[in-house]
Amino acid sequence: MKTTIELENISHEFTTDRECIRLFEDLSMTIRTGQTQAIVGPSGAGKSSLLSIAAGLEAPTGGTVRFFLDGTNVDARTLRANSGFIFQQFHLMPELDAIGNLALPLRLKGARDAFDQAADWLAKVGLSDRARHRPHQLSGGEQQRIAVARAFISNPSFIFADEPTGNLDARTSESIASLMFDCARETGCGLVIVTHSRRLAAQADTRLHLEAGKLEMAA
Amino acid sequence: MSKLRLTLENSLNDLKDSDGRISMATQAALLMFLITLTLTSASIQKFLATNLDQMLGADLVLETHEPLAPAQENALRGMASGVSRTRLSGITLTHKDAWARVQLKAVDSQYPLEGTLRIADTPASPERTASSGPEVGEIWLGARLATKLQARVGETIMLGGKALTVSAILLHEPDRLMEGHSVDLRAMVHHDSLSATLPTSGKDRTRHLIAGPTDAQAAIEAWATDALPAASIVKKHGGQHPLATFWQRTENFLGLASVILFFLGAVALDMTNRRWLAKMRYRLAIYSSIGTPLGTGIAMALGGWFLSFLLAALLATGLAALAHSAIIANLQTVFPGAEASWSVADVAQTIGLLLMLLMALQIPSMLQLSRASLLSLIRHTGEDSHVWQRLFWGLLSVSLLAAAYSDNWLLTGMTLAAIGVALVLMIALTWGAVRLGDIWGRRRTGLLPFAFFIMRQRLFAKSAQVMGLGLCGLLLLFTLMLMRDLSSMMEGYARTHDGNLMVTEAQENHVEALHDWASANQAKVLTLRPFVYAKLISVNGERLNDYMQKPSDSLASLQEPIRLHWTDQMPANNRLKGGTFWQPGTDNWQQISVEPEVMTDLNFSYGDTLTYQIGDNQYDFTLTSSHVFQSGGGSITFWFQVPASARAHIDAPSRFMGSMELPEAAWDKLASLWQQHPTLALAPLRELTERFDQTLGIVTQITSGYAGMILLLALFVLAASVSGFRADDRQKNGLLMSMGLKDKDCLWLNFHDWAVTALVAAAGAIGGAWAAGLMIYEAQFGMSYQPNLWWVAGTMVLMVTTVCLVGYLACRQSLKVSVRDLMNG
Ligand SMILES: Nc1ncnc2c1ncn2[C@@H]1O[C@H](COP(=O)(O)OP(=O)(O)O)[C@@H](O)[C@H]1O
Ligand SMILES: [Mg+2]
Repeated sequence: MKTTIELENISHEFTTDRECIRLFEDLSMTIRTGQTQAIVGPSGAGKSSLLSIAAGLEAPTGGTVRFFLDGTNVDARTLRANSGFIFQQFHLMPELDAIGNLALPLRLKGARDAFDQAADWLAKVGLSDRARHRPHQLSGGEQQRIAVARAFISNPSFIFADEPTGNLDARTSESIASLMFDCARETGCGLVIVTHSRRLAAQADTRLHLEAGKLEMAA
Repeated sequence: MSKLRLTLENSLNDLKDSDGRISMATQAALLMFLITLTLTSASIQKFLATNLDQMLGADLVLETHEPLAPAQENALRGMASGVSRTRLSGITLTHKDAWARVQLKAVDSQYPLEGTLRIADTPASPERTASSGPEVGEIWLGARLATKLQARVGETIMLGGKALTVSAILLHEPDRLMEGHSVDLRAMVHHDSLSATLPTSGKDRTRHLIAGPTDAQAAIEAWATDALPAASIVKKHGGQHPLATFWQRTENFLGLASVILFFLGAVALDMTNRRWLAKMRYRLAIYSSIGTPLGTGIAMALGGWFLSFLLAALLATGLAALAHSAIIANLQTVFPGAEASWSVADVAQTIGLLLMLLMALQIPSMLQLSRASLLSLIRHTGEDSHVWQRLFWGLLSVSLLAAAYSDNWLLTGMTLAAIGVALVLMIALTWGAVRLGDIWGRRRTGLLPFAFFIMRQRLFAKSAQVMGLGLCGLLLLFTLMLMRDLSSMMEGYARTHDGNLMVTEAQENHVEALHDWASANQAKVLTLRPFVYAKLISVNGERLNDYMQKPSDSLASLQEPIRLHWTDQMPANNRLKGGTFWQPGTDNWQQISVEPEVMTDLNFSYGDTLTYQIGDNQYDFTLTSSHVFQSGGGSITFWFQVPASARAHIDAPSRFMGSMELPEAAWDKLASLWQQHPTLALAPLRELTERFDQTLGIVTQITSGYAGMILLLALFVLAASVSGFRADDRQKNGLLMSMGLKDKDCLWLNFHDWAVTALVAAAGAIGGAWAAGLMIYEAQFGMSYQPNLWWVAGTMVLMVTTVCLVGYLACRQSLKVSVRDLMNG
């Protein structure tokens, strides 16, 4: 059964009171589970906007977006319940400790063994000894590892990551990148990463280049 | 289940930061105040209800100010199965050299119809019951009266030329309820002991205690309504306790107090709400990034808010229970035997009402929450502050509360208008100061221009802070000012009073005796103004109690006959407030001038026809003008005045009211004057000031308790305004320091920021207080508004200093952490 996101001939623009910013036009792509995709391009090209449209957070100004889960056409809300996000700024809950942050998605879904599963994942990302620490007591890399685990923990069909290593140094980026790709391959979800790091993009199954409103397969 | 736990954990977590605590403390303080008010009121109501059953001494009581005509008396006796007639009059009793003003009750042999009297041989000896009143030739004295007159059982007292033997000390009358909260000294005689020549006064009351089956009661009630329009009726079943309206008015005053407190609370909550909202938006965005629908998130946020409200309610209920029993214990003097009782329904209702009002305050936040989006985590989206929405919902809920609690619309309206003036002033000043400062600073360098630049960037947040502090300052300033002026006015009252002996009521034949006595004892009669007793019975042909149901001081006083004065000139201590006053010697005698507060309370307008029962007849007057008291020219003023030509048309004895100046030696001679004229009512100012001091004591207690509450909430507002904007300040300071500004400069910059905030708020507070003073002093308290500028300035300097100091301290604290914060993003 197919679980995909299909963007067909979409275009997107912002109109402010003075001008009209046209980001892209006539753009098509398909995102599948079990595949990793990287979107690269210069800052301001519209990568984040494209990601939000693919994730169903925003509607494009033109074209159609269709979401399929196990063969059925679903709306954006249902898709969102089955996707996870990773952000440049990590965005952990400041008042919860590491394990609390990890357990949050499961608890919101009503799982009984939320904290057991969270402990397993914490071990998997190598932070078992930091379980009781709050985000401000952790380094950026550690915070991002928890954020990655948090995105994967509830087994979503798709993961969207917007510049996940943008705030980290090269070595830390490396480990976060491999963590994300390992998890994605292990769980078989579809992973879309927006980045301007070539090294990170190189690890994805497909690479797309967005510039001047055109999306092209990159080598 | 896990969502519920999570919600609980969240709301406990939220209580760990200062915003959460301030908001809960504010809610708890408001709840405590309102619950205490409700519980106390419920206990008093319950006391009044049970009291009515036990203390009427009959099934039905009919009270009139004139004795019934024989035909009416016969009609009444024909309908009832038992009737007892009592007559109450205010007279002065003398015994040797001692004298006392008493309420004398003359009873017949049937008295009492139900219940028993309790008497004793001395005020301290064991009591016994009696099934009927004193015999002819005997008098019973109340315990306090016996002590005051130094009279013992067996001794003789002269009354109107007759010798009466004191045969018992009177401890309890079964119809005591009718006296309400009167603390007059009391005595009782048999009706036949009084000589028929004993003159009567217009304030005398005749009471018929009536027993009979229910249908007879209904018939009597119907008959009395028709035949005796000036009579008042108290029933045992479904009747209204005479104290009930008194208590209702007290409650209404406290209602206005709670409106003001709620307003302050709303300001504090609005300030903490800003941070709460930002936090919730962030939380909801993260929830939605991990697959939780927005609806669930909003429900959880609401649930968390509700849980913390419940916690506040629990805390407040406990505290209110304590406060409530303490207050009831203190009210024993007015409501003897009242018990602190619990009414779960009332508490729940109060909590429900406050919950609704707080939810109304929360509506703008909820609307904004529904727009929270995951997108904000990817890309910074601007958030508007919705000042107008918040203002609208805030004002709406305050007006709702005012509608629910206050009956004095004039006062409520004036308070709200003053608040409006302050708001407009502050909005104008904030915008003006910040814009001007920005324009001025554009071509300049330095810290001050930069401070203005930053303030302009945060204009909306800034104006919310300014308005909050300003309103708080206004209410604080005005309450303190009013309390101070009221108590100094009350203290000064006794001193500025003309004369040292008030003639509260003299009859025509007393006047000559008064003058004679005065010249014999070197005393001076300063003023004597004539009046007749008149009871307002209908307005434009509609019975008074049908015409006006809203309780007020004026309405309560109009249940009794009032003093109707006639004059051709506007008295020296009155001035025209509205309408046209009559020309001297006018033929059109059916005109009346009314005091403006009475006009407002009773909703009169010029041209209304007021019908009075005076003596045996009814008279119509057309309302043509209103007059207001002004100081100077004596203290005696009348609510109602008619042209002098009206006197010739009115068939009723004249009474007089006035003042005298007695030299020290004359005081001991007063007893002889009273022995001759027992119904002459004189009130030495010594007694008056004593009573005044008692009242002042209670007023001071109430107002200082209230000022304590206001101060507490003002502290919450200050704390909220510092804490609510701390995150912004921290970010700003971090940024400035990262750009190379020194600690000292940063502090200096913040100091400017707070100083501008405090000064604009202070200007608003003073403006609002000034407007409130102009409107409220004159109209509500009859005082001219002459603010003590030094005092106002001093208070304001104190407030501005406090705000700046607290802001400075908060800023120093934030500087310590801000740079590290900035590094963490
Ligand atoms: N709400 C908006 N209103 C107007 N312009 C916007 C809005 N959001 C983004 N933009 C503009 O759209 C362009 C693309 O933004 P974005 O998708 O964030 O690019 P990228 O992620 O590739 O840096 C930018 O030039 C940005 O200024
Ligand atoms: Mg971007």
